[in-house]
Amino acid sequence: MIQITDLEKFYKTEEVQTIALNKLSFNVKEGEFVAIMGPSGCGKSTLLNILGLLDDPDGGSFKFNGTEVAGYNERKRSELRKHNIGFVFQSFNLIDELTVFENVELPLIYTGVKPAERKKQVEAVLEKMQIMHRRNHFPQQLSGGQQQRVAVARAVVNNPKLILADEPTGNLDSTNGNEVMDLLIDLNEAGTTIIMVTHSEHDAKYSHRIIRMLDGQKVTENILA
Amino acid sequence: MIRNYFKIAWRNLMKHKVFSLINIIGLTIGISASVVIGLMIFYDTTFDTFHKDSDRIYRVVSDFSDPEESFSNSGVTLALEDAIKEQSNLEIVSGFYIERPSKVENKALNSEFKWPNFVIYTDENYFKIFDYNFLAGDTDHVLTRPNTVILTEQRAANYFPNTAASDIIGKTLVYNDSLQITVTGIVENFKQRTDFVFEEFISKPTLLQTRLRAQVLEKNWNSTNSDSQLFVKINANADLQTIQNTLDDLAKEHTDEDSKKYGEERKFSLQPLADIHFNEAYGIYDWSKGQASTSLLLNLALVALFLLLLGCINFINLNTAQASQRAKEIGIRKTLGSSRQQLIGQFMGETFLLVLISALLSVLLSKWLITVFSDFVPEGLDFELITSPIIIVAFILLLLIVTFLSGFYPALVLSKFNTVSVLKNHLAIGQKKAKLRKFLTVFQFTIAQVFIIATLLVGKQINFLLTKDMGFKTDAIVSVYSPRNERSIDKKERYARALSKIPELKTISIGGVAPASFNVSSSGLSYTNKNKEIHTDIQFLYGDTHYLDLFELQLLAGRNIRNDTIQELVINETSRKLLGFDNPNEAIGQIVQVNNETVPIVGVMSDFYQRSLRSSIKPMALRGDWYRPDYSQFQTLHIAFHNESSEGLKQTLSKIEDAYRSVYTDTEEYRVEFLDENIQKFYNRERKISKLLNWATGLSILISCLGLLGLVIYTTNRRVKEIGVRKVLGASLMEINTLLCKEFLILVAMAFVIAAPIAWYGITRWLQDFAYKTSVSFWVFVVSGAAMILFALLVISFKTLQAANANPVEALRSD
Repeated sequence: MIQITDLEKFYKTEEVQTIALNKLSFNVKEGEFVAIMGPSGCGKSTLLNILGLLDDPDGGSFKFNGTEVAGYNERKRSELRKHNIGFVFQSFNLIDELTVFENVELPLIYTGVKPAERKKQVEAVLEKMQIMHRRNHFPQQLSGGQQQRVAVARAVVNNPKLILADEPTGNLDSTNGNEVMDLLIDLNEAGTTIIMVTHSEHDAKYSHRIIRMLDGQKVTENILA
Repeated sequence: MIRNYFKIAWRNLMKHKVFSLINIIGLTIGISASVVIGLMIFYDTTFDTFHKDSDRIYRVVSDFSDPEESFSNSGVTLALEDAIKEQSNLEIVSGFYIERPSKVENKALNSEFKWPNFVIYTDENYFKIFDYNFLAGDTDHVLTRPNTVILTEQRAANYFPNTAASDIIGKTLVYNDSLQITVTGIVENFKQRTDFVFEEFISKPTLLQTRLRAQVLEKNWNSTNSDSQLFVKINANADLQTIQNTLDDLAKEHTDEDSKKYGEERKFSLQPLADIHFNEAYGIYDWSKGQASTSLLLNLALVALFLLLLGCINFINLNTAQASQRAKEIGIRKTLGSSRQQLIGQFMGETFLLVLISALLSVLLSKWLITVFSDFVPEGLDFELITSPIIIVAFILLLLIVTFLSGFYPALVLSKFNTVSVLKNHLAIGQKKAKLRKFLTVFQFTIAQVFIIATLLVGKQINFLLTKDMGFKTDAIVSVYSPRNERSIDKKERYARALSKIPELKTISIGGVAPASFNVSSSGLSYTNKNKEIHTDIQFLYGDTHYLDLFELQLLAGRNIRNDTIQELVINETSRKLLGFDNPNEAIGQIVQVNNETVPIVGVMSDFYQRSLRSSIKPMALRGDWYRPDYSQFQTLHIAFHNESSEGLKQTLSKIEDAYRSVYTDTEEYRVEFLDENIQKFYNRERKISKLLNWATGLSILISCLGLLGLVIYTTNRRVKEIGVRKVLGASLMEINTLLCKEFLILVAMAFVIAAPIAWYGITRWLQDFAYKTSVSFWVFVVSGAAMILFALLVISFKTLQAANANPVEALRSD
């Protein structure tokens, strides 16, 4: 599903140039669950942004479903993104002014789903995430675990092929964290590809494969299952 | 999706209540001003547009010029109508004569109507140019026979109460005691806005039976009266220049010898129908309604535009300043697939919601503003006008424009945020945006500052005008006018004798108008000084022997006139200089020519201001009632009080009225005027400008300061941590406040630097209209600059002191 070859990304300030990704290459097959680990500043988040089509690489190749997408403009990236990729963030990133229902509904609005159909899909996913009873609450009124469940619900509501999770349990206690990991496992078992950046060895063990990074390069790759 | 936008817009609005309120107040004021002024413009530009082919209807008017000045008259010589009647370029030519009958009687009902207004003598062509709807009567041969009249519905209801229109036809009215006139038609009053306010149309041949008979028969080319009006409807494809050439030729052909000698010129011009409501040089028929002024409307529109801009600027400033707070939402939306266009749409939607709220409030506010600005708003303007389709469309258009002006730039800024950095909280607030905000703030305060300086200087000039010594006594003097149709001198003298018995009165004088008034009577005067013939226009004051004394006019040489009717002149200093006398004594005993009569100069009086200080002092002379047996110029009794304070004034005034009633027993009419009030009326226009400026200043300061407050709140909140750290490190309250204020005060100071020359230029130009003017003082600029800074400082300190006072621990803990 994903093939990256010699991927490069630099950050420039006036005086120094930092290399965030240094000729990084790896593949992810459809249905895989990959964990990416490494110390702060090793390029994990940069990688995730590029994989999520939020950012552009400075060099190398990025094939998504066999199509070269490096160099796509913002409009094309946005188009590809909203139909194929779901995001889960460490800090949940829910919109404070919208209710649970409205937050989850957003991706469907942007993909142009009709209101009646939207309602059906949102309710189904809220049911699945066991957060239906909170549908009219605002994010601030929920616990961290509940917020992340909403975020996951939002990420999966339009059935993306790929879910990118950026330390999904980073802001949660272990009980809530495990619940979220269980949700991800369920999704993966249902066929969704998942790439997760994490600091937690515990969480990483849920995956099929762990890629370890340092200074923008792949150091090791452990296959778990 | 739209619903979603509005939902989030509404929630955002409620979340940032202070900012929303600031935005709404600013926009509401701007929109209200635009609505009121828009209504005025609409009202004034839709007069008489309903007549068929109104663009082909013109009034023929007269423009005169001589080497000294030029002036206009809305009328033309009676001879012109016949001269142009057969012109092939003109479809219809119709003249009419305005003449108020002194009395109209309906003998059948034994009812009497004195001095009915809006009566004209005209012919059937008038009804071909203007579309009247006939309710009853003969429409084929209207007004062809003498002694016939057409009445409007309203006038008919006055003369023949409770009578059906068709029953009035054939009934007779008696005009001026002797003229028997038959009603041949009833027309509907115009329902649309019109300056054609006439109520009675008497057939033209009837004029021969009035006091105007001689004039009508003579048709003198060199006599022009504004009561003699001439309208034409030109052919659909007529060339205006050809018509003008014909008129020019006629004017040239009929120039008399005197005019040629003195370089006087007359021109006939075509005034478009649409111009009548606006052109003050020619006037309208109902003076009490007041005319529209293009320059006033333009100035008002400018004020509205500025207020609207100020409101939009607040919106732009506050929204771009707040942008970082919305960055997260934008990042998420983009991640979830929102395109930039969708985001721009969303923010424009939010702006529109805010504008819509302001618009609803504006409708209420404008209704109130129309009453506050009744001085400017035309009398007939009804707020209902807002429901007319053109206004509604214009209003919606205005809302869209305001939405675009306010919302587009912030939407552009917000939607441009980079998704990755937003979500990582790495948002750098661009220096560029801060610069734009600074620029806009300076712009706002420049406008406010210009208004402040202008207000002070206009106020200073008005004060100068009102306190300037006019050169004669103006307080504790009243003037009582004789009844309009009363020309006999006996009653006036009886009234004067009755007044002289009232002990509170000092001096009584019978005469024409006071030394300064709106009414000017003038005539040509010639004098041959050392073989050089001098010809000038001279204004006359008519008065008896007490006139000089009563108004405390100073005699510089010679003596007062010897009696009320003797042909003698007391000239003013300006005339003395103009006639070439080196000193006042030299003028005494010299003989001048006035209206073909030789008159000696017996005295020279000092100069005084005859009108407002806009105009310079003109040659003038005091004279008696020379033609008393035929036509008395003495229509007024001037009365000076002993006591200059207002104590006992009411009793004295009622004694004056009682004396009047005892002499004039057969009239209700009683007109009394205070001289000082009349002089203030010279400056009505200036006072209007001053009032307008006061409002514009107040509102622009309000909007700008609110915007400044918003920015200060935002900046201070962002710097809470910095303030905390500084306090922990030992900064004093004063130091912190200075630090926070400095940034904003610099902007206000910059605005002053830009505003001062603009205001100076504008006010210097305005003052050019005045022959006598106040100085554009340095202190006015200092005071207004200081005032603006003080306002700004108050607003800024309101928030910064609060921030500086806060416990630093609170600020630091939040991190």
